[in-house]
Amino acid sequence: MDQAQQRSFAVISHVDHGKSTLSDRLLQITGTVSDRDMREQFLDRMDLERERGITIKAAAVRMTYTAADKTTYQLNLIDTPGHVDFGYEVSRSLAACEGVLLLVDAAQGIQAQTLTNLYLAVDANLEVIPVLNKIDLPAAQPEKYAAEIASLIGCDVADIFQISAKTGQGVPELLDAIVERIPPPAGDPDAPLRALVFDSVYDVYRGVVAYIRVVDGSLKARAPVRFMVAGHDAEADEIGIMAPDSTPVVELFTGEVGYLISGIKDVSLVKVGDTVTPRPAPDVEALAGYREPKPMVFAGIYPINGDDFPLLRDALDKLKLNDGALVYEPESSGALGFGFRCGFLGLLHMEIVRERLEREFDLELIVSAPSVGYEVQLDDRKKEIVRNPSEMPDRSRIEEIYEPYVSVMVVTPSEYTGPVIQMCQDRRGELKEMHYLSPERVEIRYHMPLGEIIFDFFDQLKSATKGFASLDYEPVGMYASDLVKVDVLLNSQPVDAFSTIVHRNKAYDYGKAMTERLRKLIPRQMFDVPIQAAIGSRVIARETVKAKRKDVLAKCYGGDVSRKRKLLERQKEGKRRMKQIGLVEVPQSAFIEALRVDSDSTSA
Amino acid sequence: MITQVGDRTSRWTADPGFGVYLHIPFCRHRCHYCDFNTYEGQEGLHLAYVDALITDIGNCDPGGRRATSIFFGGGTPTLLPASGLARILRAVAHNVGLDPGAEVTVEANPETVDEAKFDALLEAGFNRVSIGIQSLVPEVLTRLGRTHSPERALEAVGAARRAGFEEVNADLMYGSPWESTSDWMTSLEGVVAAGPDHISAYALTVEEGTPLHTLVASGRAPDVDPDIQAERHELASEVLSAAAYERYEVSNWALPGHASRHNVLYWSAGDYLGLGAGAHGHRSGRRYWNEKLPREFVSRVSAQRSTESGSELLDAGTRAGEAMMLGLRLASGVQLDEFTRRYGPEWLDGRAAVLAQLEAGGFLERSEGWLRLSAGSTLVANDVLCRLL
Ligand SMILES: Nc1nc2c(ncn2[C@@H]2O[C@H](COP(=O)(O)OP(=O)(O)OP(=O)(O)O)[C@@H](O)[C@H]2O)c(=O)[nH]1
Ligand code: SF4
Ligand SMILES: [Mg+2]
Repeated sequence: MDQAQQRSFAVISHVDHGKSTLSDRLLQITGTVSDRDMREQFLDRMDLERERGITIKAAAVRMTYTAADKTTYQLNLIDTPGHVDFGYEVSRSLAACEGVLLLVDAAQGIQAQTLTNLYLAVDANLEVIPVLNKIDLPAAQPEKYAAEIASLIGCDVADIFQISAKTGQGVPELLDAIVERIPPPAGDPDAPLRALVFDSVYDVYRGVVAYIRVVDGSLKARAPVRFMVAGHDAEADEIGIMAPDSTPVVELFTGEVGYLISGIKDVSLVKVGDTVTPRPAPDVEALAGYREPKPMVFAGIYPINGDDFPLLRDALDKLKLNDGALVYEPESSGALGFGFRCGFLGLLHMEIVRERLEREFDLELIVSAPSVGYEVQLDDRKKEIVRNPSEMPDRSRIEEIYEPYVSVMVVTPSEYTGPVIQMCQDRRGELKEMHYLSPERVEIRYHMPLGEIIFDFFDQLKSATKGFASLDYEPVGMYASDLVKVDVLLNSQPVDAFSTIVHRNKAYDYGKAMTERLRKLIPRQMFDVPIQAAIGSRVIARETVKAKRKDVLAKCYGGDVSRKRKLLERQKEGKRRMKQIGLVEVPQSAFIEALRVDSDSTSA
Repeated sequence: MITQVGDRTSRWTADPGFGVYLHIPFCRHRCHYCDFNTYEGQEGLHLAYVDALITDIGNCDPGGRRATSIFFGGGTPTLLPASGLARILRAVAHNVGLDPGAEVTVEANPETVDEAKFDALLEAGFNRVSIGIQSLVPEVLTRLGRTHSPERALEAVGAARRAGFEEVNADLMYGSPWESTSDWMTSLEGVVAAGPDHISAYALTVEEGTPLHTLVASGRAPDVDPDIQAERHELASEVLSAAAYERYEVSNWALPGHASRHNVLYWSAGDYLGLGAGAHGHRSGRRYWNEKLPREFVSRVSAQRSTESGSELLDAGTRAGEAMMLGLRLASGVQLDEFTRRYGPEWLDGRAAVLAQLEAGGFLERSEGWLRLSAGSTLVANDVLCRLL
């Protein structure tokens, strides 16, 4: 379609402010999805998305809309995820757009990811259409929050749309505004093809499906293409659009968004951010790509049944095809056997990966305690990356340990400023900025170690602010800290899976908490089992599992020795499923429990 | 005929003799904790059962070996008239043969015996009696579903003595949820005062399928506490050793020279015939067991069908493991050279590392060629064995 009648935009917001629901209404009003086929959050197609009620992957869809003046427009919509772990999905989506709908929940106002996503859009020079959603809610305060938004983005209160994505109120007007205010794509239709790969998925039958935005020129079906950065040549076996299901087309024109299937089975050849050009390659510049998403959190994933290791490897390989942010490498643990050290975007991402592995590949897993990645400056000037606390080099060799810091943004009602600041200070934060969004609401920025926030910070923040504060963060670099490795020893044997790296001031708390937890989880053995937490050789906390004094000694009546032996054999079979740490037998469940991260803390 | 009980050892032996176990699967009332193969209310079957058992004894093949120990267990053997038990014993003597000095034990429930009955039993050739006392505290007895009084139980010991039994065992049970430490002390002291030469004291176990299990599972009775049971076991050891009883097996004490041969045979993995409903037997690595239901047992015999209902052939490793499992329960432990001679060197060799670990940890001791559980790990024998098997 003619460029002038194309509009490409993303829906962005803080988590849960209604992006997917608004997308539903747009799909319906434009007739893209019939009322009969409609279901809530239509674009959240993954099982996990539907179960958790959140968007994990950005989804692009083409709609056709005839405006009041009878002009027909092609609308390319991208619904984006709101959760902080998936922020990179937003930034890559924006590269395929000229505008955004910035959604704000009219009962909650501006939240942390509202700001982050707004800044992304502004940085990308996109047209921002501010929208207050959920005005049907009794608790909605559209006037109040409209004023906040107006002062934030410097617009007129009247320019802010007030809608209910649920009832559809105000959505038709919004559609007209999309057509009016968002500029058409600016690419050059006569230049050689340049298309940006903004996402890719792996399909078992069809290989890699690249989602592309044609920036210049056009792409014809069956045309020979080159993935510029990867330097890989292929054919455009099939091109098409999502409307909302994959629909093949013969040509994708300048500005259009669609997919490209080229028979490639190796995902590493189709990198998100690459530029697709024709062959023979014209002399064009590659489009600005993306930073690859950087893993922020690391944890070991181990099969409960050691024989499943090869299955786990296959499963990760397959998952990786659709989850570019997942990284992993094999590792082994004295306590947990063979597994993989995996890198995740955050704890929610970790939870999701684990859940998909267990569900889609039928694996039973233990996930070790997550940690951030460290850099260690050794005395011989070498630097080492440490992603597994048990691999921390010997203390005597360490000159300095660096840990990742993030810029943290908290948006909170101003009455909670005190407690929020206190919390951040306690977690080694450094105040950077405070900004009043309105007399009642404030945006607070801190620099803090990532390790201080990924686990339970969000939970605590919520409870300190009666649930009103929101949180976002982004990495700002590595900084030296006074960190120590805390080991946990069972019966004087260190158990690698429980080692952790913490700030010196928190070592005692960690040690105490872990030893207490383990004391409750480790069954009594035939001897006292001391559980110690130690920094190097210095014990900082200690608990004891008291010896079991008696196991069953039933009478062997009537010479029934077989029964006795079988009882023992059964008991022994049960023990086989335990991990042996020296003479101490630790049930798998103790590892799972001890290493469990409260899943509530993953919902930042 | 009165036979003299010969040399008794309380130690593990590679040649424990040849035993005969006879099962009498009847009781007057079932105790709440009991999961033995026993039935109440089948009085009409008793006589037929005795006849069937005698026929079956006639059918069995002792392989040319004579019994060094015979054990009538149950159930309650003494629920049968002494004449019935005597006929059974005669059948054994006739078909299997008795070693001079063979130990012949009968289990007795206090309610079913008096001096006259003991006289008759002694006369029939029994020379050892094992009396189920369990407790000397009325409340505890009632809760266990035992219908005799403490006095009756002590009286049974006295009656056996007066009749002339030289070997008398008292069976005790500790650690039921209703028993206090002083209750247990009462039982121990009372039994010691009655002067048996052998005392068995088992911890109460809540077995599935028993009324006690139902009570515990539904929260109407407290569960047993293994820590408390361990304390009771220690108390028993103290009291009994002060009274000159030696613990020769985890749960068995005897005055010097009065260990039970049949017991030592079991723990030494010896061979024994199992006769009667649900009895188990063992012959050189073959274990077998009989039809459990008395009625079915009787009808099999009358139909001239085998009474054996199952068996298993142990491979060399299992056999050695079993022998170790049993032998370590004896305080003497296992004589390793003899063990190797009997079972080959593979089993021990294959476990050298675990053995060393368990010895280093102080759970096993080795001295003068004997391997035994250390004093501290007697009560966690299962745990030690699990690591060894
Ligand atoms: N009352 C009311 N509820 C709404 C409205 N829009 C969305 N919701 C509800 O808000 C919740 C979140 O809606 P979603 O559309 O999944 O929000 P989202 O922004 O896509 O969420 P993420 O993708 O996880 O960031 C759902 O329970 C919706 O039903 C609205 O206009 N009114
Ligand atoms: S007397 Fe012995 S065999 Fe009979 S029911 Fe009681 S415990 Fe069981
Ligand atoms: Mg969504």
